[in-house]
Amino acid sequence: MVDFGIPIGAAIAFGLGALGTGIAQSKIGAAGAGAVAEKPESFGLMLILVAIPETLVILGFVVAAMIMLMLE
Amino acid sequence: MVVRVELEYINARIKGMKSRLLDPTVFETLIHKPDIESIIIELGTTAYKEEIEKASIQYSGILCIEVALRKDFINSFRKIYRFMKGDESEKYLKILLGRWDIQNIKTILRGKNIHIPSAEILECLIPAGELDETTMIELVKQPDVKAVIDLLATWGISYAKPLTRNFKEYSEKRDLGLLEYALDRFYYKNALKAVKEGSYDDGLVREMIMTEIDVTNIKNVFRMIRDKIDVEEAKDYLIDEGISLNTEKLLSMVKTGTFAGAIKLLETTPYAFLSRVPEEILKAQKISVLEKDLEKYLITRGKNQFLGDPLSIAIPIGYIWAKQNEITNIRIIARSKTADVPEKEIREELIYV
Repeated sequence: MVDFGIPIGAAIAFGLGALGTGIAQSKIGAAGAGAVAEKPESFGLMLILVAIPETLVILGFVVAAMIMLMLE
Repeated sequence: MVVRVELEYINARIKGMKSRLLDPTVFETLIHKPDIESIIIELGTTAYKEEIEKASIQYSGILCIEVALRKDFINSFRKIYRFMKGDESEKYLKILLGRWDIQNIKTILRGKNIHIPSAEILECLIPAGELDETTMIELVKQPDVKAVIDLLATWGISYAKPLTRNFKEYSEKRDLGLLEYALDRFYYKNALKAVKEGSYDDGLVREMIMTEIDVTNIKNVFRMIRDKIDVEEAKDYLIDEGISLNTEKLLSMVKTGTFAGAIKLLETTPYAFLSRVPEEILKAQKISVLEKDLEKYLITRGKNQFLGDPLSIAIPIGYIWAKQNEITNIRIIARSKTADVPEKEIREELIYV
């Protein structure tokens, strides 16, 4: 019988990270758009702030990869 | 189609607008300016540049500043209203800006009551609320108080209700105060009805309205003491549901018959700061000093909302109060300069919050 435990674990690690990133980026993105509309000079800073939550999904990806590679 | 706008976006824009509010050092620079023309030049280097430039084409001197400030004030609120339209928070903004509608209607009624020319009334209006400039122009064109109320009723504007209900009494006594108190009561009652749920935003707006009710009531109490109004009659001029003062407490303040006595009763309330007002001012019954202190308290409360939840209605509330405070201060400086008021006295008149 095929063991689905490892891929499901990896999927959860990656999926939840991606979900967290999505929620955070939606809020930061909306606020960033507002800030740039009023102060166009803050565009560069906003770009960095919007990108910061990407770390969540990257960490999720690393954990997923570790599960897949190390537990196999 | 209604587009849902997130409060994250709205509040980020408002914070951006807040960053353009004048620094206290600019007020100091304005105070140091020798005349009104140099104040106009200085304001032209700030966020008021655009409106000052537009106004200076048609007007000069104090009128140029007045027109520019009024336009900037209206534009700021219209801008907030534009990006809040369709959001759940729109109802809060309608409540907050409704104060201007009330003030404008009162100004028109006062003007019509004493037959001031329409152009002069129009100059005093600030159409920052729901009723826009076109509506105001039409209202001002009416020949008398009754015609203004009738037009409001014809357009189905809710403020016509309290005015129509109290018009008979007004025409018998010729006391405009009756219509004004009816408007205030109607506004506060409806505003509180709209924010009776238990959400954080509802709570914030409710607290601000109830504080405003307290301040309005205290001001009325002082006026009633000065005019020696009977306690029984005083009941008609008080608004229910203040945050710290109920009707009984306010009536007992009226009963004391003196400013000092009334202030003594406020010792256990947040308005205890009034006891710092010098005794000679209380004896001379200078209401303006007390009103200024109360106004300052209200503005501080409003501006402190900036420290609240950044994803709530607290930010728009804070901005509205901060902007109002800034415009008031610039007007005080400009008017004082035209009247050659010494710098020290101008500083005392300003409301630094």
